[in-house]
Parts: sequence; C-alpha cells; structure tokens
Amino acid sequence: MPDITAANRALRLGVAGPVGTGKSSLIATVCRSLADELRLGVITNDIYTDEDARFLRSAGVLEPERIRAVETGACPHTAIRDDITTNLLAAEDLERDFAPLDVVLIESGGDNLTATFSPALVDAQIFVLDVAGGGDVARKGGPGIGRADLLVVNKTDLAPYVGVDVPQMVADASAARDGRAVLALSRSDVASIAALRAWVLSVLDSHRRGTHVPQDPGPMAPHFHADEEHPEGGFVHTHDEKSGDEHHSSAPHQVRSHSDTRK
Amino acid sequence: MQPSPHTISLLLADARLPSGGHAQSSGVEPALLAGMPVADVPAFLRARARTTGMVDAGTAVLARHAALDCIPMASIERAWAARTPSRAIRDASKYLGRGLLRLAGRIWPEVRSSLDDLDESPPRPLVLGAIAAHAGIDAESLVRLTVYDDMACAVAALLKLEPGDPAHGVAMVLEACSSIEPHVAAVSSITSAHQIPAASAPQSEAWSEAHALTTRRLFRA
Repeated sequence: MPDITAANRALRLGVAGPVGTGKSSLIATVCRSLADELRLGVITNDIYTDEDARFLRSAGVLEPERIRAVETGACPHTAIRDDITTNLLAAEDLERDFAPLDVVLIESGGDNLTATFSPALVDAQIFVLDVAGGGDVARKGGPGIGRADLLVVNKTDLAPYVGVDVPQMVADASAARDGRAVLALSRSDVASIAALRAWVLSVLDSHRRGTHVPQDPGPMAPHFHADEEHPEGGFVHTHDEKSGDEHHSSAPHQVRSHSDTRK
Repeated sequence: MQPSPHTISLLLADARLPSGGHAQSSGVEPALLAGMPVADVPAFLRARARTTGMVDAGTAVLARHAALDCIPMASIERAWAARTPSRAIRDASKYLGRGLLRLAGRIWPEVRSSLDDLDESPPRPLVLGAIAAHAGIDAESLVRLTVYDDMACAVAALLKLEPGDPAHGVAMVLEACSSIEPHVAAVSSITSAHQIPAASAPQSEAWSEAHALTTRRLFRA
C-alpha cells in the first residue's frame, strides 16, 4: 500500500477539550463557514459512540455520509493518543471514499485537560474551553491549553451570565501559551467566526505548501517525581521539547488575541 | 540482532500494542447488551475459546504455513469466512487485521508481501499467522497467542462494562485459556484448510449481528 505523503492528503485537524465546551458546535461552525469552498469530512470519537455524529448530521452542515463515528472502547484519551489505529483507519477511509478532501476534522471524545492528539494522527489541533467552565481554567494550564495550535475560549456570549471577564480569561490563556494563538469565540459573534475560518484556511495553506510541522502538545503537564536519592525528595520535570517551541514560532498564527472582539 | 520469537509473542499479546484492540470487546458487549447475565461470562469465554477461538487459531496456523512456503492466502481466507458466518464478526476481525497489519507492515515489511493477494483488511488470524512466520513464532505458541489475545481483550472490555474485581478477570482469562490446552497440539499441527475446526457459536453470532446495529455502544464488536 503506497504511503500518501502528508502534504498531498487532506489536512487532519483535531478538536479536543473537556466535555460540554462546544467541540461539536465548533465543528458545525467550521463546516458552515467553509463547506462552500472546501471539501470536508468529520470523524467523531464519542464515549457512547455516535451521539456527536448524529448531532452534526442533524445540524445539516455536511452530507451525512461525510460524518463518521468511531468506537473508543470507553477510552477517548487512548483513541487519540496511545492507540490511534481506529481513527487513522477512519481518516484513510473517509479520504478515500470522498477523494479528494481538503480537511478532515477529528473530534475527540470530551475528556479532561490532559487529552491531546498524537501528531501521528492530526496535523494541527484546536483545544476548546468555554467561559461557563470558569474563568480560571485557562490559568490551570496543561498540554492542550499550553501548546495546542489554537486555543478557543468558547461561548463568550454567556460570559455576563456566568460572571467571567472574557478579556481577562483570554489574557490568562495567552500568558499560559507564551503568546500562541487564542481565539474568543461565540457562534453569535460574526467577527470571531471569521477569525476561526481564517485560521483554518491559513493552516491548510501552510499544510499544502509543506511548511506546516505537526506539533505534539505533549501528554503530560509538568509533574513531580518522587526520588529518595534526591536531596529535595524528588524533582519536577516536563516532557516539553525545545524544538517544539521553535516549530511553533514558524507556524502561521494569524489569529491574534481577540480580547477586543467582545465589548 | 533480531528480537527473540518469545519477545514477539509477548509484544503481540500485550493489550497496549497500538493496533486498535482497545475498541473491541471479543463479543462481550454484544452478549451483555443482549441480556446475558454477567455471571455467565466465564462460560461465555470458554465457549468462545473452544469454538470461534479454535477457528481463528487453526486459520492462523495455516496462514503461518502459507507465509513460510510463499503460498497465496486467498483460499485460507475463504475457509475462515465459511466458518465465520456472522458478517459483523468477520468485519470486526478484518478491522482488527487491518490495524495489526498497519503496525506489522512498519516493523516487518515482508508480512505485507505474504498477504498481498488479499485486500487491505485481511482477517486478524491471517495477519497473526503471517507475523508468526516472519518472526519465528512456532505453531503452538501461535495457537495460544490467538486465543489469549481474544480472551484478554474480552476481560479488559468487561471491566469497562460491568463493575468487578480486576483480579477476577485475570482468573477468567487463565481459566478460558487453559480450557483449550487439550486441543492445542491438534490445532497447531493442521496443514490444510479442510482441517480448520468448524465450530461456530450461533447465539454469540446473533448477538454480534444485533450489536452492530445499535447506536449506543462502547466497543465495535
């Protein structure tokens, strides 16, 4: 079976984040804003298998056949990082059945803050938080918040009702990410949707030019290792790669912190 | 230096092997969704090992011979399919085989050549047999591996489907695997397709067919 090179197949774009932050809704938004000009496909990873796929099909943003669900064996985390086989096979099938596709969106099952996609599965990934989860979540960090290609702070229209200061949450997120792209998004905020659309197009463009390098946000936050030999009883370390940061600085990030998009 | 065949056996039996097995339940989720009592799981596993487990094991043994002798595999796949009447179970096996081949092809490119008269999704026992041939795994080990992997997959899934003591699950795996010991010598010595055991499990196959149509499931099959 000849290997298709990364640059000439569809861009595989992962969407991760905790349960209920609006991953499916974000995918529907991306489809709605790009379906006229791009050939899209969607793979969902649900816990109970096809809930999200059915939501997306019923949203009518894409032909139902272009939206597929995969089983995760109750381990959404495993399916996008430790054993990506099921998702890879689904992506290959989708790309073959609807060739040529421009973008395959892969939605992770809602998990906790540590779940991120393997770079062997996706070319780029979006991590989704929402204001209703609390303004302090962005400060808590973790691989997705810190190092996903794009961090979305979703449902900004709810901010007044949940007492969250969106500009502050975006500023906290930007600080946690060393300035990597952050987008405050609401499906009722046209400017924020335009910014999301522009970001996807810019990543697709660099993917096609072969200049995009998939990043691994890393499986683990910095953590403590107990060690009796160590004078302080152990040590804190991270799984960061310095080279990962260098790649990031060359990646296209036209999305700026959108602290000004919401009044 | 080549890794020892024994090490390869351990690798293939390791639930952490990234080849898609974590999304399978070896028929346990279909059985429980259909109403089989949890208390019947040990008997279910013994029956599975003795029936479809032996079909797969015999198929793997023959695929190993074919890979060693550079003989095409298509007739072996047909013999396996004839003994695996449920499309849902055949599909699940082909899906597992495709994932395993995807991984094995990276490590042992010759495994892919041994299966190149089949489509991209050979059933799992044919891929296991081809790997065994190229990794130097003997036929008896291959039979035990084929059954063990299926049983371990079942019990790993069971722990996600029903509350229970994980140590009890380990005991179930060992019990089911030891129950086929009297048959290992015979199955590992077969040399032609008509000798592949033909014991099917109609109730389990019916459950798997129904399961394939449900919309709320954790596992593929």
